[in-house]
Amino acid sequence: MVSSAGSLLAMLQEPAPELKLHALASLNSLVHAFWHEISTSVSSIESLYEDEEFDQRQLAALVASKVFFYLGELNDALSYALGAGALFDVSDDSDYSQTLLAKALDEYAAIQSRAAGEDKTMDPRLEAIVERMLDKCILDGKYQQAMGMAVECRRLDKLEGAISQCDNLHGALSYCINLSHQYVSHREYRLEILQCLVKIYQTSPNPDYLSICQCLMFLDEPETVASILDKLISGSNVCTIFLLYQTIDDALLAYQTAFDLAENENQAFLLNVRNHLDALSSARSDADSRATNAATEPSGDVQMGDDVNMPNGTALTVDPVKVAHADRLTKIKNILSGETSIQLTLQFLYSHNRSDLLILKTIKQAVEMRNSVCHSATICSNAIMHAGTTVDTFLRENLEWLGRATNWSKFSATAGLGVIHRGHLQQGRALMAPYLPQNGAVGSASPYSEGGALYALGLIHANHGEGIKEFLRESLRNTSSEVVQHGACLGLGLAALGTADEEICEDIKNVLYTDSAVAGEAAGIGMGLLMVGTASEKATEMLAYAHDTQHEKIIRGLSLGIALTVYGREEEADTLIEQMTRDQDPILRYGGMYALALAYRGTANNKAIHQLLHFAVSDVSDDVRRTAVLALGFVLYNEPEQTPRIVSLLSESYNPHVRYGAALAVGISCAGTGLSEAISLLEPLTSDVVDFVRQGALIAMAMVMIQINESYDSRVGAFRRKLEKIILDKHEDTMSKMGAILASGILDAGGRNVTIKLKSKSKHDRLTAVIGLAVFTQFWYWYPLTYFISLAFSPTALIGLNSDLKVPKFEFLSNAKPSLFDYPKPTTQQTATASVKVPTAILSTYAKAKSRAKKDAESKAKEKAEVAPPPSEDASAASTSMQLWLLSQVDAAAAEKKGPEPEPQFQLLTNPARVIPTQEKFIKFLEDSRYEPVKTAPSGFVLLRDLKPTEAEELVLTDAPSTAAGTNAPAPSASEQGSGAMAVDEEPQPPPAFEYTS
Amino acid sequence: MDPKLTEVAQLFARFKAAYARNDLDACVTLLSQLKVQLTKFPSLPPLFQQTPNAVEELKLARDIYEHAVVLSVKLEDQDAFERDFCQLKPYYMDTCGIIPPSPEEYPILGLNLLRLLVQNRIAEFHTELELLPVKALDHPCIKHAVELEQSFMEGAYNRVLSARQAVPHETYVYFMDLLAKTVRDEIAGCSEKGYDSLSISDAKQMLMFSSDQELHQYITEEHPEWEIKNGSVFFQKAKESQPCKEIPSLQLINQTLSYARELERIV
Repeated sequence: MVSSAGSLLAMLQEPAPELKLHALASLNSLVHAFWHEISTSVSSIESLYEDEEFDQRQLAALVASKVFFYLGELNDALSYALGAGALFDVSDDSDYSQTLLAKALDEYAAIQSRAAGEDKTMDPRLEAIVERMLDKCILDGKYQQAMGMAVECRRLDKLEGAISQCDNLHGALSYCINLSHQYVSHREYRLEILQCLVKIYQTSPNPDYLSICQCLMFLDEPETVASILDKLISGSNVCTIFLLYQTIDDALLAYQTAFDLAENENQAFLLNVRNHLDALSSARSDADSRATNAATEPSGDVQMGDDVNMPNGTALTVDPVKVAHADRLTKIKNILSGETSIQLTLQFLYSHNRSDLLILKTIKQAVEMRNSVCHSATICSNAIMHAGTTVDTFLRENLEWLGRATNWSKFSATAGLGVIHRGHLQQGRALMAPYLPQNGAVGSASPYSEGGALYALGLIHANHGEGIKEFLRESLRNTSSEVVQHGACLGLGLAALGTADEEICEDIKNVLYTDSAVAGEAAGIGMGLLMVGTASEKATEMLAYAHDTQHEKIIRGLSLGIALTVYGREEEADTLIEQMTRDQDPILRYGGMYALALAYRGTANNKAIHQLLHFAVSDVSDDVRRTAVLALGFVLYNEPEQTPRIVSLLSESYNPHVRYGAALAVGISCAGTGLSEAISLLEPLTSDVVDFVRQGALIAMAMVMIQINESYDSRVGAFRRKLEKIILDKHEDTMSKMGAILASGILDAGGRNVTIKLKSKSKHDRLTAVIGLAVFTQFWYWYPLTYFISLAFSPTALIGLNSDLKVPKFEFLSNAKPSLFDYPKPTTQQTATASVKVPTAILSTYAKAKSRAKKDAESKAKEKAEVAPPPSEDASAASTSMQLWLLSQVDAAAAEKKGPEPEPQFQLLTNPARVIPTQEKFIKFLEDSRYEPVKTAPSGFVLLRDLKPTEAEELVLTDAPSTAAGTNAPAPSASEQGSGAMAVDEEPQPPPAFEYTS
Repeated sequence: MDPKLTEVAQLFARFKAAYARNDLDACVTLLSQLKVQLTKFPSLPPLFQQTPNAVEELKLARDIYEHAVVLSVKLEDQDAFERDFCQLKPYYMDTCGIIPPSPEEYPILGLNLLRLLVQNRIAEFHTELELLPVKALDHPCIKHAVELEQSFMEGAYNRVLSARQAVPHETYVYFMDLLAKTVRDEIAGCSEKGYDSLSISDAKQMLMFSSDQELHQYITEEHPEWEIKNGSVFFQKAKESQPCKEIPSLQLINQTLSYARELERIV
């Protein structure tokens, strides 16, 4: 090595061009060591580059670029690198080229993403470099990298190229979809990408319909979805029996697609798909009848090969196919309308209900008689605990106590029934009948229970209100009581969520213009619910009225309503948000915060976060500041890990409102995750000096810890004890007491079988859930709105379905310790007579000893992957509540022969099973099972392909809760017995069959 | 022997012949050919590859560049000197242990020092000096340059001028001539600062000119801003160009005091 580049620099000054060239070439290889020396004479290199006659100008540019790179002048370096043309090696992995490539990409992406009006002149050389890099990535097989760059640089043509060359087409497409949702913050561009993806999907020979339909839903193209579904259920090759299996598979796929779509809860879209499906199938049947002969003859030929039998054959084959098609169409429509999934969910929640009535009992006894806040909080807590399970034992047992609720508490108490019976679509109206306003005879019941009942109907039919809309409208029109109007407006909004129905809108608007504070508030929210995500003109109208009216309540309702209308519109909503956040009226600014939260929900958009943080520290109104912090939770829920970090400073603010907001923000965005950082942040807040901060922190903590048990995070147990302590403490403030009561409800929500989930499994936002939480946070002003949290609940179950949409007996594996995801242990009390008083550890060894003794006798008969029928002696000896767990224990012992561990490493679950979100990654499907899942999703509805269709199927979960008496009767499988027995043994009482119509 | 090396050696022989008969034009063309040829040897700096002929090649290249340096002195071309010297330098600095030191090394290094002195690049002069090993300072060529620099700095210009007679190497003469001019410039610069005006005879003596003619020519060429009036040389103009930078102290004091008063009043 030389010690200096001086000689080369001197050579650069030589008159002979060969020498200059030699010097440049040598400098190029030495620049990393001597850039500091070269930098002093970089101007001479630059002048070489500018010299038109010099034939190696590109080399000069390259050297200059490298020198500037080392000097840290990246802009100059890039412009010279562009001058270097082909000499700039994109495949080099030195710091220099990596940095400059990144810089070039950034530059290119920045220019490409400029808005239309701005200067978009692109240096062709820059473009060339980026293209070279993309091509190289594709050539090297780094498809993901290429796709990422193409998306970032807005080069859809390259994206298409990368995907089409990729060997794993489906992987690539799903990667792109993920990419577009996570990293593309501009909504219009995201839609463009999705359009491009759908195009590629459709051209591929073996399209992945599940993903296509997800994309199409985002693009809002119900026609295409409908035609795909139609194609699938009618089978692309009509009416050959050979292809029957094929069509069954297709149908399964169609069902699965429909379930996935229904899960995203976009009511308006699903309605459209359904209508288009109808239109398509009617059109088809016309065409079919005309072309029957032409269509069936060739197929008949193939199928029979016998000319004589042909006419008979066609007649036979056509008919069943048509019947099957009609049958499938109804099924698909039922799935799309959500009825199927709601019904199955209802059955699951009912049969697996594990709520702990003792907790409620404790609360009830602890709460003072006169304290109506705590009284109604207890009722609410009960409703949340039993949300969707239809179990109202507690209410039935405490009718007298319940009767203490008067006025608005009565309203809440009645509405609570709606939460308990959520999704009970068929019986809903009959259930609420005693409380509903009677036609003709005016007000046998109080207006409060009438209004509450209408609200309850809305909750029952939330987002699936086709059947109940008319009734609610009528009730709204027939009443003049503002309490009833209040309930009806909320109910209508819930039932017709996001449908933007003009007539309903008019009705609600009439209520609004009566300018009554109570009804107007609900009307504002109701209108917002109706118009969710439509960004319609109505928002400006609402804003104008909000300026006119004198009532704070109405303004608040309206501003929340306006916020709801811009749900998910991102940039489109910016003008409206600007208008609201600059308003004189703090209540409208407060609405503006919600608008920001909902428009940018789950995008982690930097601009929105900045704006919110700005308002959180600079606004003069405490309400606005609180809401601004809280709104951060909505914006960030797609990256829950970020939230605790971002709000950690705010959670130490001197202002209690900001602290409260920080607590709820963490609660919202980390809901159901059990995130350790979130818990650490909330823990100090639960013992804050200000009562309402404690309230918020307790509720938020419950939201974070929902479905997490003590063996997963030990702080859950401490939190439960803390709740109990607060509730029992006589000197605790009402506010935090109420928070604790609600928190214990949320912690055990939905019979411990639901979680709060703002994103669906396909990573889309669950509209209803987000809206539900947003309105829920309004409980600060209006307690009855607490019930909106039930919209955010999502059952944590894996429900496998066969082609008849029945639940067959099916087993799968959870590859983790059972105790990690088990239900929390039921509470015990001196007064309680529950049998389980023995700690688990003793039980397990006991069971183990038993099983080992048994094993000598009969272990040879057992096979590895099979669950043996439980020995009856065992069942009687050990607590039946532990039976399921014990079964796998036996199993593990059989497998390992020795088994020194106190607990097995896996667990067999039986369809339908509770699979909580943290457990999902441990779920495995068994290889040698009779059923094979269409899509290997670890939770939700999964369609199962029957590999032995000729054998008789064993079905479970065939009973609806309304015919509840039958639950324990058809329980052929071991584990079903277990769960049935569980209910008997562990809970104070199983829900008896009761008659709703009395 | 490698054919390429033979070719270069032959070319170099022709160069030396031309140099010997003082055919400078031929030398220049031959030299540039030689330099181009040298770029084809990978054993030379900056690559220093270990080829079988590396030692011969290095020696030859060093010889060529040494001649190039001497030639540039002969041509009285300072830029070429600097270029060639820079290219020669790696052969001195970075080839220790590969080829034996050249007998010409110190004379040429001394020459370079002298050049820097002539061009009044004192900082670089000292940088170069620091790079030399301690024992090199005893070499007469280096010592000569160092002593010159010391006299130059002291202002003992007569010693500088008399040193011309005792050059250690014949090539040094050119630079010693140039040095006289550098010294004159220094003196002129000092006089400008030191005097308002000087009589022509004094100036002539000071600037070591033998005739008024030479003085006038020097002034018109180098210092056109000087004025010759009434038998004297006036340096005034140069001084006027520098603005007087007196600090407005009274005004500042007044302002500060009033601020203090007002501050007190506010508090």
